[in-house]
Amino acid sequence: MEAILSRSATYLFLLFGFIALGGAASMVFARNAVHSVIGFLVAMLAVAACYLTLQAEFLGVAQILVYAGGIVVLFLFVVMLVELTKFKEKRLFQIQTPWAVATVLVAVAAFGGVFWKTLFGPAAVEPLTLRPELAEGLKVAEQNAQALSRGLYADFLLPFEILSVILLVALVGAVVLAKTERV
Amino acid sequence: MVPMNAVLLLSFLLFALGVAGVLIRRNALIILMCAELMLNAANLNLIAFARHSGTPAGQAFALLVMGLAAAEVAIGLAIVVALYRKKDTVQVDDINLLKG
Repeated sequence: MEAILSRSATYLFLLFGFIALGGAASMVFARNAVHSVIGFLVAMLAVAACYLTLQAEFLGVAQILVYAGGIVVLFLFVVMLVELTKFKEKRLFQIQTPWAVATVLVAVAAFGGVFWKTLFGPAAVEPLTLRPELAEGLKVAEQNAQALSRGLYADFLLPFEILSVILLVALVGAVVLAKTERV
Repeated sequence: MVPMNAVLLLSFLLFALGVAGVLIRRNALIILMCAELMLNAANLNLIAFARHSGTPAGQAFALLVMGLAAAEVAIGLAIVVALYRKKDTVQVDDINLLKG
């Protein structure tokens, strides 16, 4: 049973990984901005499913709520607000596109080299161990929300509070930036 | 358990697509979405390593990244709207005020 579950998680991860890649590719290369947003939505939902297969249930649901529920709708609003039809005749890509593609291909080759070395090179001297005392008592895989909340509110309380201040500043900043007339 | 190599490969490919999109597209909205995609690729790595090591630290960090991404989108979209009002364009290479 355990083995079947484990293997089906891998297959589901691969399936949703391919869907995410397809969504991302259609986002980058779509001519119409609305199609781009839909590709983005597909990619985000597929990444959320990948989180679920990695046993990060809370983050999977949070991803759906934040991205599919919030950010995609925000993007769609702005796409509707900004009249994009008049840019349609113009070219789609920047003039530096060949150089940019070459740069990305160099990065792909570099990653492929590292990957190749990891898979077929000599094994590491000792396996990677991360601070096990962070996980005492609670396993990430078993009680996901509890373990996550303890990590967030015990070990990362200060970053969490800083993030809340950043969100407040961003909220005020967005209102100020998008306001029409000066008071 | 999902093999680590598959996660790393997917994460890298998503990140590469995001970089390519930021570099080649002219539409500021799509550039913002590609930046979001890169953040998501990084999140995928964080979650995979959290799963691998059995600690919640990586997942907590991914949640923080998600909040930061939301803040970034709010500011970015406000800038796009303000830009459209002022310059009547969202194509990034039409905006060359600082060009020497």
